[in-house]
Amino acid sequence: MSSSVVVCENVVRTYQQESVPVHALRGVDFVVGPGDFVSLSGPSGSGKSTLLNLIGGLDRPDEGEVTVGGVALSGLSETEMTELRLRKIGFVFQAYNLIPVLSAQENVEFILQLQGVAQAERQERAENALESLGLADMRHRQPGELSGGQQQRVAIARAIVTNPVLLLADEPTANLDSSTTEDLLGLLKRLNEAASMTIVTATHDPIVMGYTKRQVHLRDGAIERDALAA
Amino acid sequence: MSLRLVWQLSIRNIMRHRRRNLMLFAAIAVAVSGVTSLNTLIRGMQYGMMESAVENLTGHIKMHAPGYQDDPNIQRGFPIADDFEPPVPPEDVMGWAPRIRIPAVIMSERETRGVQIVGVDPSREDISFLSAVPISGESLSGTDDGRVLIGAELAIQLETKVGRRIVLITQGIDGRNREKGYRIAGTYDAEGTTLEKVYVFTGLSSLQGLLNSEDVTEVSIRFTKEPKRVTFKGVLVGFFEDLLVMDWLELEPMAAAMFIFADAVIFIWFGLMMSALTFGLINTLITSVMERVRELGMVRALGMPKRMVLTQVVVESTVIMAIGVIFGLFGGYLIYLSIADGIDLGSYAAGVEMAGMSSKLVPVVVWDDFILVAYLSMILGVLASLYPAWRAMKVQPLDAMRR
Repeated sequence: MSSSVVVCENVVRTYQQESVPVHALRGVDFVVGPGDFVSLSGPSGSGKSTLLNLIGGLDRPDEGEVTVGGVALSGLSETEMTELRLRKIGFVFQAYNLIPVLSAQENVEFILQLQGVAQAERQERAENALESLGLADMRHRQPGELSGGQQQRVAIARAIVTNPVLLLADEPTANLDSSTTEDLLGLLKRLNEAASMTIVTATHDPIVMGYTKRQVHLRDGAIERDALAA
Repeated sequence: MSLRLVWQLSIRNIMRHRRRNLMLFAAIAVAVSGVTSLNTLIRGMQYGMMESAVENLTGHIKMHAPGYQDDPNIQRGFPIADDFEPPVPPEDVMGWAPRIRIPAVIMSERETRGVQIVGVDPSREDISFLSAVPISGESLSGTDDGRVLIGAELAIQLETKVGRRIVLITQGIDGRNREKGYRIAGTYDAEGTTLEKVYVFTGLSSLQGLLNSEDVTEVSIRFTKEPKRVTFKGVLVGFFEDLLVMDWLELEPMAAAMFIFADAVIFIWFGLMMSALTFGLINTLITSVMERVRELGMVRALGMPKRMVLTQVVVESTVIMAIGVIFGLFGGYLIYLSIADGIDLGSYAAGVEMAGMSSKLVPVVVWDDFILVAYLSMILGVLASLYPAWRAMKVQPLDAMRR
């Protein structure tokens, strides 16, 4: 367990929605090992996004403990949590979420700048990341000049350029057509296999689940099924 | 913290809403132009009042005997050595003038008036209005000149004119009245009529002869620059232990009050204009932050520290203010240049004279005012950004991303 990338122990999260408690997670135990490619699926309200947010340090559990890369998140201050997200976790969001005033390359460099990487190294790593995702010709374009698939690839480049311990993807293909979805999933699969990158993705999409090594299905805030892909 | 990144994001975000920020730049520039150009006029009025006060036989500093102000007569005079020089560096002194100034009665064939007879050394009066006013007839030729120079308005009141004779009655050193007939050498035309009705000039030695005294009642000193008054007043107080040494602020308290009031007006005006503007800036920044809540949440989620978010908004505000202020200062200076020759206030001559001002309002650029406006504006820019920046800093990544 000590070599696990993610460990969730008896994680409980309850939201108050107009004074009515909503039990998003009811004592979830969940472990992700190095090199895993896990999909979290389930109907709306099942708790998959909540679990992803807790693993990503964007939210805190009411009970239980979440450990990422050997660091227990409950003991971290807000500043330390921000630092952990910056250093250890790569995020890919559903709506691409690129910074609209920066070019593709600048968006990728953004994280490296936050990490304080020197300019020359930063540029080289960003160019390599974009090139590996087939975006070498697009690096000076603004997000608004890119298609949805291209924007999501830039977001992936931004997430992987720092070599994070864990890549979290929240519905990464929700806004993409099926062809672009297949391309993107192929890309994530290659990253997982070639670079042994640990990936956890929340999804509704059976196509996405088909690409992952392990499928975790949640219902009503609990893990209903946790199975390796056939 | 990567300041380069903060700078890059701030500038790009300003450029993102060009039209809105152009309007804001314009509003700041207009306000700053208004403040700085009006400051030049207020300074012009202020310096005009000061010049009038100083030139009104006051100088920057004046010495007289104790008791003279309450009872101005030659018995309150004091001797002055032939080789007297003020005990201050000559390069700092524009000039100095000894005088006798005492009350007198002037009589023409038809009228009688109370005046002040002033005995002067005409060659030293380049420090007072006497050297600048137009004169009909002749000016006084020297200290021995036994003629008088009277104001044009007084000549009208006395129903007399250049070349005619008048009689002056005043009190001599022995306390007894002396009277003497004088021929009018010329009439002077000062700005307004107050001075013209009050001052009658004659040669200093001539007047000393009438009063049977070698004393003077005052020595007036004018420095090359007004602030030197502060430096040298103490020196003069120490040197002339038996005399009262007073500066123009003490001698002309109303002008001094107006001078200080003008300083206050500059700050009040700046405060009003820039406060209104600051609310506009705060509003724009809050709008800008609220439009970017999701984006701010995303960068926070990716690992941008709170202090960087805060700095970004502060830099945006400061840059907006700086650009507006630069254009505003330039605009203010252009407005100054367009009115640099002065504004004729002749139509309001009576009111202007009451305020101790010249009938022509000439704006004055005080660079310290420009620097102060720039400095205070930048402070306001930073202060205005604090609340929007705080709002931006408080954005929770998860809440923002759910929007």
